[in-house]
Amino acid sequence: MIKSQTRLTWVLIAILALLSLSPVIMLLIGSFSKGLVQIGDFTLDKYKAVYGDVSFYGVLGDTCVFVLCSALFSTVLALFLAYLNNRTDIPGKFLFKVISVVPMMIPHVLFAVSWGLLLNPSNGILNLIFKDVFRMSHSPMNIYSIGGMILVEGRLDLPIAYLIISPAMASFDVSLEESSRVSGAGNIKTLLRITLPLLRPAILAALILCIVRCLASFAVPSVLGMPANITVLATYIYKITTTGLIPDYGKAAATGMCILVLSISLIYVYRYLTRSSEKFITVSSRGFKPVVVKLKGARIPLFIILLILLFVLIILPVLVLLYTSLVPYSMVPSAKAFSMMNLNHWKSVFTDSISLVSLKNSLFLSLVGATLGTILSVFVSYVIVKVKTRSAGVLESLSFLSFSFPGIVIAIGFMWLFVRTPLYATIWALLIGYIATYLPYGIRPMTSAFIQIHSHLEESSKVCGASFLTTVKRIIVPLLVSGIVSGWVLMATMFFRELSLSVVLSRPGTETLAVMILKFSDDGLWGKLSALGIIMIAISTLMVVSANLIGNRFKPASD
Amino acid sequence: MEIRITGLKKYYKSEGNIIKALDDVNLVIPSNRIFTLLGPSGCGKTTLLRSIVGLETPDEGEIQIGDTVVWSSKKKIFVPTEKRSLGMVFQTYAIWPHMNVFNNIAYPLQNQKIPRAEIEQRVRKVLEFVQLEGFEKRPATRLSGGQQQRVALARALVAKPKVILFDEPLSNLDAKLREETRKELRSFLTELEITAVYVTHDRVEALALSDNIGVMRNGRIVEIGDPKKIYFHAEHQFVADFIGRSNLIPAVVEKKDANGSIVRTDIGQFVCSQTDFDPQSKVVVCIRPEFVELVSADEPKPVNTVSGIVESMVFVGEVYESEIKVENTQVMVKFPATVDLSPGDPVQFSVRPEHCLLVTE
Repeated sequence: MIKSQTRLTWVLIAILALLSLSPVIMLLIGSFSKGLVQIGDFTLDKYKAVYGDVSFYGVLGDTCVFVLCSALFSTVLALFLAYLNNRTDIPGKFLFKVISVVPMMIPHVLFAVSWGLLLNPSNGILNLIFKDVFRMSHSPMNIYSIGGMILVEGRLDLPIAYLIISPAMASFDVSLEESSRVSGAGNIKTLLRITLPLLRPAILAALILCIVRCLASFAVPSVLGMPANITVLATYIYKITTTGLIPDYGKAAATGMCILVLSISLIYVYRYLTRSSEKFITVSSRGFKPVVVKLKGARIPLFIILLILLFVLIILPVLVLLYTSLVPYSMVPSAKAFSMMNLNHWKSVFTDSISLVSLKNSLFLSLVGATLGTILSVFVSYVIVKVKTRSAGVLESLSFLSFSFPGIVIAIGFMWLFVRTPLYATIWALLIGYIATYLPYGIRPMTSAFIQIHSHLEESSKVCGASFLTTVKRIIVPLLVSGIVSGWVLMATMFFRELSLSVVLSRPGTETLAVMILKFSDDGLWGKLSALGIIMIAISTLMVVSANLIGNRFKPASD
Repeated sequence: MEIRITGLKKYYKSEGNIIKALDDVNLVIPSNRIFTLLGPSGCGKTTLLRSIVGLETPDEGEIQIGDTVVWSSKKKIFVPTEKRSLGMVFQTYAIWPHMNVFNNIAYPLQNQKIPRAEIEQRVRKVLEFVQLEGFEKRPATRLSGGQQQRVALARALVAKPKVILFDEPLSNLDAKLREETRKELRSFLTELEITAVYVTHDRVEALALSDNIGVMRNGRIVEIGDPKKIYFHAEHQFVADFIGRSNLIPAVVEKKDANGSIVRTDIGQFVCSQTDFDPQSKVVVCIRPEFVELVSADEPKPVNTVSGIVESMVFVGEVYESEIKVENTQVMVKFPATVDLSPGDPVQFSVRPEHCLLVTE
């Protein structure tokens, strides 16, 4: 038992090291190599070329503005929504679940494109409507700007921030607030003096995670930034890998190193914060509802704001894609537009062999990748939570490392690796890259599920004469079902919409859906793009719904 | 089945300090009796229990259950938990929430690959035994605390183990239920031919339930004996103090003969019936509040009479709990509820020689 656990730990360490350390090492070696993709002749040339270039610092400045503002925007919005949901008597609380879950089904690149369709300066639908209604000569809004990028990116990272802040707010010991009220502080004062300071670790953690995700973001900068010639680090690297006959992957690696180092440092700060936040926020075991702040007159206006957010964040982007997929060319919705609707774009998607290949590839990557990733996550989380040896600690640190991986940077590392193997330009290269990069998203829900399983449940199975495998099969896995389902769903939807790794690693024949969408966007094929996008959203939704149905069937009977 | 534990050691490192959870434990747990490991939290009792069941591996020593050595550092033997054929009731009960009562209880039998029909019959029988007839289909999440406790017991008993282990199984029940369950558990266990090892920090539970008690402190077994021996004739101050409230008064032995000894303390001389300490040895006199007898002013003074001033009288229902100041020492005593005394009153009380317990520090 003890021996088999130790062996399991080392096998997992080996797998994770291979998955997450090898691309980093290759990236490092690559950045010091002289050639374009050849290892050897170690030099500092690539670093000198990147960091000696003045234009790099312009990119760095834009990146800072974009990343910090987006992260701040999503954190503040998440805080506002989490407070409304957990602490007030606002009606329609199920809407919060919608806001936090549904965006998983809308791929980032599609969301960015849909806002491009709505607010681009030449023929954005909303802009055209505004021009018409207010008789303006110029488009009032331009989404192809740093402000537009921030608004769109900020909303994309909102669910992540919300999912960190909301549970912290829901679970904290109400008596801490109650004693503040007893001491004579009002709602607002209690919020500012007690609630927010106590939540500081969770808020900071959300902010840091958002910063890391914005740093890695590729969809928004490429769809909304490139047309306006606004370059951030992610698109800067992409440009390096797409210029020249043989792109200079060494230079790309040298650029990527700065994002990687920054991300890894931030993730370890995040980890430190969330670790202390567990001590900070006392989770009350008493099952009653936290005090509800009566909103009184503000109740309905705040609810309307919530509905507007819902409309803007989810409904409008999907509607515009649906509309665009049906009209022959960009036009303001009108009777004429509706009379011209047809299914030509849909037909062209279903007869386009590359689109179909990409659909097949993405489905394969999503279903197979998420399943393999989930199996790996179950074992890794088991060791992290239940085996408390030093090597289990090593495993935990390793599993956290890839949490910080900016997709496009790590893809460059994988490029350096795969180019030397038969995996290069195959679907398996993408599969390995996906699992390596997104494994923490599978491990996290599984780890919290494992923590909830009291060790006595497992030990009593042993006392009852069950072998390790029987215990896993009959006790651990059934109790883990909800964790497994949410881990699987998270990975499957992420893999299905994956862009930043794929854009570097995919080759003709291994295109994925998101890569196709980006290609259509570059070519201005909005109708075809929208049709394919709607198919993507539909499949994502189907995956989430069916996984939850299956999960419910296996759920333990409870009262 | 007898359990034989020899030279068991288990050390933990915690922030640079070495914590001795088990510090050379030697113990024989007799067959078919209820043996309780009693001690304050952190004394190593749970570690010892978990070592017996194999959920914890000690650093050194040997554990033998019946004729089988299940763990030995020298012989490099480790029989895994699932092969030890024991029963155990956990502090949290560890009822699997995703199974109904039947599946929870049938689990140990299913692991032995026993035919379905026999499993059903044995589960029904054990449910009858713990008075939960007809609960087979009930989901585990819909049981009260007391019912969960019975299901856990049924699961531990169903495979007819020779040894059953209990890790503070009553600490999650409320006071009244705890008392009832304690009585029931004792009758269940005496009815079966089974060796029971019971871990608790509750002295009343230990006294009421056990055939034998082993008192533990800092990873060591301090004293072993039946409840009466531990209560009336403890050898160590720690044990005397832990098993019940007592006045501990430092003393020096003055004289000793065949009938008893005389000791000197700050509050006067005491005659004790014990003879196991030589003159001049330093000891502690242990006087339990409930053994103190009130002496009225007009009757002749019995041996070991002490006079003092009443400091406090607290009425707790059955008795008065009172503090009496004798010289500069406070003595806790219990007086019958009928006594009429108030703080400030002078008072005389006596302790019989057989109730003056001499213990080592």
